Amino acid sequence: MESRFKIVGQDVPRTDAEVKARGKALYTDDMKLPGMLHGQILRSPLAHARIKHIDTRRALGLPGVKAVITGQDTPKIKYGNWRLFPDTQDEYPLAVDKVRFIGDEVAAVAAIDRDTAEEAMELIEVEYEELPAVFDVDLSIKPGAPVIHDYCPTNISVNRKIKYGDVEKGFAESDYVREDIFNTHSVSHAYLEPCSALAQVDLDGRITLWTSTQVPYIVQCLLASTLNMRENDIRVIKPFVGGGFGGKMELRAWEFCAAFLARQTGCPVKFTLTREEEFITGRRRHPMKIYSKVGFRKDGTLVAKDLKIQLDGGAYNAMGPTATFLCGNFGAMLYRYPNYRFHGEHIYTNKPPASAMRGFGAPQSLYATEIQMNMAAEELGIDPIDLRLKNAQVSGDEIPDVATISSSGFIDCIKAVAEMSDWKEKRKSLPAGRGIGIGCYSFISGGVFNWFNTQYPFSAAEVRVFSDGTAHLLTMASDIGQGSDTVLKQILAEELGLKMGDIRMTSADTSMTPQADLGSWGSRVTLMAGNAVIDAAKKIKEPLFGAVSARFNLNVIHDIECVNGRVQSKSRPDYGLTFGEAVAMVQKANRGEPLVARGSYTPRGKGLVTPAFGFGAQVAEVDVDKETGLVEVKHMWTAHDCGTVINPRSVEGQLAGSIQMGLGYALSEQFVMDGGKTLNTNFVDYKMPTASDMPPSELFHVETYEPEGPMGAKEAGEGLASPTAPAISDAVYHATGYRCMDLPITPEKILRNLKKNK
Amino acid sequence: MRLPKFEYFEPETLEEALRLLAEWRERVCVLAGGTDVLVKMRNGRLKPGAVIALERISSLNGIGFDLRKGLTIGAGAKLSDVTSHPDILRYYPAIARAARVMANVQVRNMGTIGGNLCNAAPSAENAPPLMALGAVVTAASLEEERRITLDDFFRGPGLTAMKPEEIMTSIFVPTPPANSGASYQRISARCGVDIAAVSVGAMIMIEDTVCREVRIALGAVAPVPMRALSAEAFLKEKVWSEEFLREAARISADESRPISDVRASLEFRKQMVAVMTQRALEEAYGRAIKR
Repeated sequence: MESRFKIVGQDVPRTDAEVKARGKALYTDDMKLPGMLHGQILRSPLAHARIKHIDTRRALGLPGVKAVITGQDTPKIKYGNWRLFPDTQDEYPLAVDKVRFIGDEVAAVAAIDRDTAEEAMELIEVEYEELPAVFDVDLSIKPGAPVIHDYCPTNISVNRKIKYGDVEKGFAESDYVREDIFNTHSVSHAYLEPCSALAQVDLDGRITLWTSTQVPYIVQCLLASTLNMRENDIRVIKPFVGGGFGGKMELRAWEFCAAFLARQTGCPVKFTLTREEEFITGRRRHPMKIYSKVGFRKDGTLVAKDLKIQLDGGAYNAMGPTATFLCGNFGAMLYRYPNYRFHGEHIYTNKPPASAMRGFGAPQSLYATEIQMNMAAEELGIDPIDLRLKNAQVSGDEIPDVATISSSGFIDCIKAVAEMSDWKEKRKSLPAGRGIGIGCYSFISGGVFNWFNTQYPFSAAEVRVFSDGTAHLLTMASDIGQGSDTVLKQILAEELGLKMGDIRMTSADTSMTPQADLGSWGSRVTLMAGNAVIDAAKKIKEPLFGAVSARFNLNVIHDIECVNGRVQSKSRPDYGLTFGEAVAMVQKANRGEPLVARGSYTPRGKGLVTPAFGFGAQVAEVDVDKETGLVEVKHMWTAHDCGTVINPRSVEGQLAGSIQMGLGYALSEQFVMDGGKTLNTNFVDYKMPTASDMPPSELFHVETYEPEGPMGAKEAGEGLASPTAPAISDAVYHATGYRCMDLPITPEKILRNLKKNK
Repeated sequence: MRLPKFEYFEPETLEEALRLLAEWRERVCVLAGGTDVLVKMRNGRLKPGAVIALERISSLNGIGFDLRKGLTIGAGAKLSDVTSHPDILRYYPAIARAARVMANVQVRNMGTIGGNLCNAAPSAENAPPLMALGAVVTAASLEEERRITLDDFFRGPGLTAMKPEEIMTSIFVPTPPANSGASYQRISARCGVDIAAVSVGAMIMIEDTVCREVRIALGAVAPVPMRALSAEAFLKEKVWSEEFLREAARISADESRPISDVRASLEFRKQMVAVMTQRALEEAYGRAIKR
């Protein structure tokens, strides 16, 4: 089928590829400003303690140290991403009264170099009164447990309930009901670029902050509020970012400290975290305890689901409230549940805070969904593929209180992946030790619920066009390595009939790009910023079309288009001008005013969860060494529906990255903890899979057209983070009989189970 | 952390290096590749007054093989040289494998085999195959040159039989006897860039299906790389069989003394000693009967 698009859907090289391959891309830590100071953060060695006294005098006396600050020096204003509910904002940039986890930020130093700053750390004396700490959700919610935040005596900071249909009645009508408990573990985002922030203050006292973030706008607003400044006095710029995966979507202590210390010293101040700091204190994926009860009819039709999830949030809310909401929404996605009930609890413990991480609650929630589907399939005597086909959500299905699914290629995905992997045959005939398993996903294309309480559109774009036939696209959308700059350029090039090279782009600078963009998370950018770009482009085209109509005195029934660098009549291309000529005419008709347009997107009439849903299915084949328990993933097959594929190579990159993360989540990555202390704080002992661990993989795009998406596109970034762990887990079960109910699947667990089954 | 202030020497001859060593004694640190020393200095665990870099002493870097005598690897030979040396690949595949699977490309390009041994980590990858093959190291001081069998070399985590005034100059590995084979096996959680949770080196000589010589060395399961002497004794002079092999592997697991740490639990390590021992012996046997 010939594509109706010229640039969208083409294998366009990423605009950042060459500069990154050459090592020339500038990340925050690459930047040096004259007179720049280096910051370091002193962190709590205790999991829970009251700060009695901090003496910074010796540190201040060290030659080369320019400033030392503690929580007492700051305005003591709490922050958190959930501005809509100020109660949930539970974090100070520097601890004021208490520390709540090992690594909690206590003080900060700015010095002439990093080594001096590090030496100064050792000279800060902190007197703590150690408090009892709690590291387990069950213990944390027991009466009499240590209270971690005074405002929250139960340690349960968020309660979320969803209910529709009649679950009890559904179970009563079910022929087969099963109830299981799953436990998922914490993993690290392990982005390759550690967090870094550089702040500079101008003579008016305004702050510019370069920072490795997914959310420049959120950082701008929260930095303003914690510094007690006006939002417009803070400018946040996102340079190249080496990955975020949800770990860089909040204001963080070092961003505050860089700005605060820059203001105090008058010098630029930079903080860059070490990998050890990242592993000790960086955000992580929520461990979840998942109680799931599902009821089916004999023929495999789902009747009801009752889901209860406890999230181990660690010491602060971070993005936990969203994860609590979403894991309940994910529980009702993928399949049709006529009766559904969810209760989620976000629970404080004295561990490093969990937060958003690629999938945002879906990898956990869908692990339970998918494994339970397979367990049910086995008991019902139905092939897991057939059970899924029977219950799959299709276009037009309504998820009560959420949205109507406007496009779903899920059934085609399941069929495609079964065929690609030779599922039916392999499920029957693989030898012992070999196994094949399936995992599926559905995911949101951005969120609707305005927890940040922004007064701006969710995404915005400004397009400026010039008489030399070029355009300038400005957007606050943040390319953090996922490729949004390329995709947004492609969308604009398509709309205006220009080439990629004709478009200059400025992105993610809060004082230069249009307000606003909520950031890169929840797989929202392609859909939301993409729609904003289209909106702006349409407003640019209107006067251009008018100019061409007037110039050639076209009958009003003529359709005009922007194509191949021209603005012309569709039916009579000779009635047309070059893009630049058309721009010049519009300017001349308007006293030389530049031709500029603004577009925006905010979801409307799409419920409170998401405007569009991505879907997909994945099959893994594994080989399990029965003596060592080691799992080797031999092959992965994926079929997915992201609507219109805008950039095929970027989608393939998302898949490869998702499989890499999924492999680690399923098999090798975990934090080894001793109470609140993280023991594996480097990449030798934090077992992230390497290139040589990657299995061969095949991908099939199921093409659908999402009416709400830009040119039919929807999410492709995070949904894929969910199916890999259940697919591998199911394949391990098929190979060995070991059903993993508590991730990760370790060799020791497999061996223990093999022994038991002997 | 700031590197502490230290003197830095780059001698070009061994004698010069030894003289510096004698002069600075305990306050000096010898740098053979830096992949361990610099890391330790950076995080403050090592604070030497002087560092003597051996890289410019070319006599320490060579690899030589004589079919009648054996293999001599200069202590300063890079791990990447060890993995790619044709004679090592042909006659000592177990040694090549250990050097190839350890760490990552960058570390193998900088790290040296002597450095790996002198660092004396319980998990030192090169130790088990070298011990299994009867390696002897040469340590030189201004006064003398002495030979230490690798069996006697390791004294504890980070501790060796070398004296403060000595530098390791080479590692000698005898030519493997006829009808013998060796193997190196390891287990870790991912394909590469990893430290083995358990490793085993084994050498076996077979005469008319009888195991005339057996040497088994275990890594990462005791404070030092260790020989599995009971397992060796059990297998020696026995007719090769599946049953004896399994028993030897079990004995080897019994005599290992692992701990639980972030990389693996004690129980898992013991289990893996048996599996890796069995696999190492099997591969060594396969190589022995082929030669």
